[in-house]
Amino acid sequence: MRRLVAELVHNRVMFLMIAPTLIFFSVFAYLPMVGIYYAFTNFSFEGGLFGSEFIGWQNFRFLVESGSLWSLTKNTVLYNLAFILLGNLLQLVCAIFLAEIPGKLFKKTTQSVMFLPYFISFVLVGAFVFNLFNSENGVINTLLQQLGLPGYDFYMHTSPWKYIIVFFSIWKGLGYGTIIYLAAIMSIGDEYYEAAKIDGANIFQRIRSITIPMLVPTFVLLILLSLGGILKGQFDLFYQIIGNNGMLFESTDIIDTYVYRSLAVNFDIGMGTAAGLYQSFFGLALVLTVNYIIRKTREDYALF
Amino acid sequence: MAQTKRKKAGIGMLAALLLATTLAGCSKDNNKPSASGSASPNASASGNTSPAASEANKPDISKKVTLNWYLLGDAHKDTEKVVAEWNKMLEQDLNTTVKLNFTSWTDWQTKYNLLLTSGEKIDMIFASSWADYYKFAKKGAFMDLKDLLPTYAPETWNTVPKQDWDDVSVGESIFAVPSTFPEYTPDGIVYREDWRQQLNLPEITDLNSIEAYLDGVKKAKPKVIPINGKAWNEQFYLFLSNFDFKQIGGDSGLIVAKSYDTPRDIVAYPFTQEFEDWVKRMKTWAQKGFWSSNTLSDQQEAGDGIKTGNGAVYWRNPAGAGGFINDLKKSNPDIQLGYFPFTRFHNYATPNLSINNGMAIPKSAANPERSLMVLDKLRNDPKYFNLMTYGIAGLHYDDLGDGKHIVVPAKGQDPKVVTKYDIASWGWRYEPNMRSEEGGWDGLDKLNEEFKAESKPNIFAPVLMDYQEVKTQVTAVNQVFQQYGQPLMMGLVSDPEKALATYREKLKKAGIDELLAYVQKQTNAYLDEKGIQ
Repeated sequence: MRRLVAELVHNRVMFLMIAPTLIFFSVFAYLPMVGIYYAFTNFSFEGGLFGSEFIGWQNFRFLVESGSLWSLTKNTVLYNLAFILLGNLLQLVCAIFLAEIPGKLFKKTTQSVMFLPYFISFVLVGAFVFNLFNSENGVINTLLQQLGLPGYDFYMHTSPWKYIIVFFSIWKGLGYGTIIYLAAIMSIGDEYYEAAKIDGANIFQRIRSITIPMLVPTFVLLILLSLGGILKGQFDLFYQIIGNNGMLFESTDIIDTYVYRSLAVNFDIGMGTAAGLYQSFFGLALVLTVNYIIRKTREDYALF
Repeated sequence: MAQTKRKKAGIGMLAALLLATTLAGCSKDNNKPSASGSASPNASASGNTSPAASEANKPDISKKVTLNWYLLGDAHKDTEKVVAEWNKMLEQDLNTTVKLNFTSWTDWQTKYNLLLTSGEKIDMIFASSWADYYKFAKKGAFMDLKDLLPTYAPETWNTVPKQDWDDVSVGESIFAVPSTFPEYTPDGIVYREDWRQQLNLPEITDLNSIEAYLDGVKKAKPKVIPINGKAWNEQFYLFLSNFDFKQIGGDSGLIVAKSYDTPRDIVAYPFTQEFEDWVKRMKTWAQKGFWSSNTLSDQQEAGDGIKTGNGAVYWRNPAGAGGFINDLKKSNPDIQLGYFPFTRFHNYATPNLSINNGMAIPKSAANPERSLMVLDKLRNDPKYFNLMTYGIAGLHYDDLGDGKHIVVPAKGQDPKVVTKYDIASWGWRYEPNMRSEEGGWDGLDKLNEEFKAESKPNIFAPVLMDYQEVKTQVTAVNQVFQQYGQPLMMGLVSDPEKALATYREKLKKAGIDELLAYVQKQTNAYLDEKGIQ
């Protein structure tokens, strides 16, 4: 105890500096964790959190018994893998292009244009999608008609929606991710490139042997960070684009939208928390596994 | 040393503060009035020297409070002005102001649920049998008002009929103040009467004539989508009304009583022959283009289609139809609309329960007493009632002084600028204070006469169900309904027969039988209690 106090006094400035973070996480991340208990209770307004009846695992039944848990988990994971891998790759490529392009004006303009979609809300994206793809006066179908081609009824088929959703997700995140990678490229020392130039390396060789290897740690870090949320779908994206259109659920339903629909009719805190808990546990297990693998193979890149 | 002490004290305080703020969020409400209602709040009033007995009971309003109220739906563009006016009056009379919030109609059910469960301090909220009043009341989301009403809302307590109080009673408790406005709100459709006449289509009297009308319009005007927007309600309520399938205890989803006369004959409708015929018919409707193939993703109301001249049918209850027709009379005087109530399929109507609209006080309320006093004023004082229901006199409306009619908008106001003041004011309706619009659609009165003449008691709405024991099944069944049932009923699947088989199989798996048994049991219990065979 005495040593702890002495430590506190000795490094008081340090502790003061870390205090906001500690407080932030304890208030917004650790204290709310008490609510996990909801997942095991039959919520009643009178009982509140601790007064409600304890019912064990019953709240998890709706996830398992509907028989769709597997396909939902699969959809969620696959969509997220596509978002994460494709997204990061494209961001990386764009960042390299932007870094190598000489014209300042062009560079700035491109960067801004790419960044813009990031600020558009998903509600608007949903409206875009409906106006692009609907069969009556959607842009694409009108275009097809003008060209004398037969129209395509997007809302009657499930297959195109995978691509549409992945496209819009990447489109929206591209600018933001590019900036992160661009910052990483900017921090690579000029001397490497100059040395390479003197040795006669052309631009492709410089990218392959300097830029890309230097970016790998950033790449791995970003992937690792996003893996934790792999079971958390982007609810806004899916809900705004697909909504309650049961026609398209087969290939577009993820855990978040499923849970939302379940509880919109039958509002139940217990069941909602149960679903959230399942997602978090799965995410945690995944991060630990991937991190373990990375630590075994390339220790420097591991998160912890 | 002194410095350390101070710091430690500081950390301790900080921790205490943190703990206090978080606990405050979880703690149960301490302001909840004691069971005897008249206990502490008017302790100071006991010294009142006023001779009248009612005066002596007058609650203490010396403390100024701000109440938090929630209504469903959207605010009117002038709501801010109206509420400011209202607050001026409230401050003078009751030393109170009210912050009036709206849920907006988008996803209102979810928001309503969240408001009640999140623990936000709400002093009054709209409540209704169609917004799961009974379920929430049974779960204990609302405050019991029985002991508060005589003291804090005496006028309301005396003017609401006994039967209506019975309607809102759950066990021995009263959890809401019902509106007092006997009303019929059957489903029905608004349609383009001018097009029907112009195209020489038959008068709408039954399902076949509706089909003929839709077909005639689509053929003569290929650019028009007869039900333009989300067509689900138009189709679904037509289905229920056509076969006289009755939902039980509000929205009972797929479980219905087969007809009014056989309330104990309860089925899951997807398993009926009627349903099979219906989905085949709807397939042809969808193919003929009565609605678009993206109808399930469309966010537009079919009524908007009518306004732009691209639609022909809109699902409304008679009062809603009246509002819609009146609005259109002003904005598109060249459009002639007609209305067909679905009661005509089977020639009877059932009145609403009083709690079809009402106001309730959530458990979380900070000032339930004051909130009831405001409601009492709002319902019974015409000055308050008119302001909050019809807007500002001389701007939104003119009172004709006959106690029955108002003119909308007020004289000298441009109807294009000043639109009818129209918020979800249904919860505080009190018939003697209600006014109808001069020169408005006269169909509503005629329809009400028609309904009254063929009225039968409402035996399905008051069945109390909270679905607690079958909540897993309810959830699973609803998922199946959305994924397979909706596209099937909208005729969007390529092979209805195959899709129907899948739908039924999935429903069985989701536990529809248990759900059915639950509803059957509850309904039987209710019917036994009321002595209905």
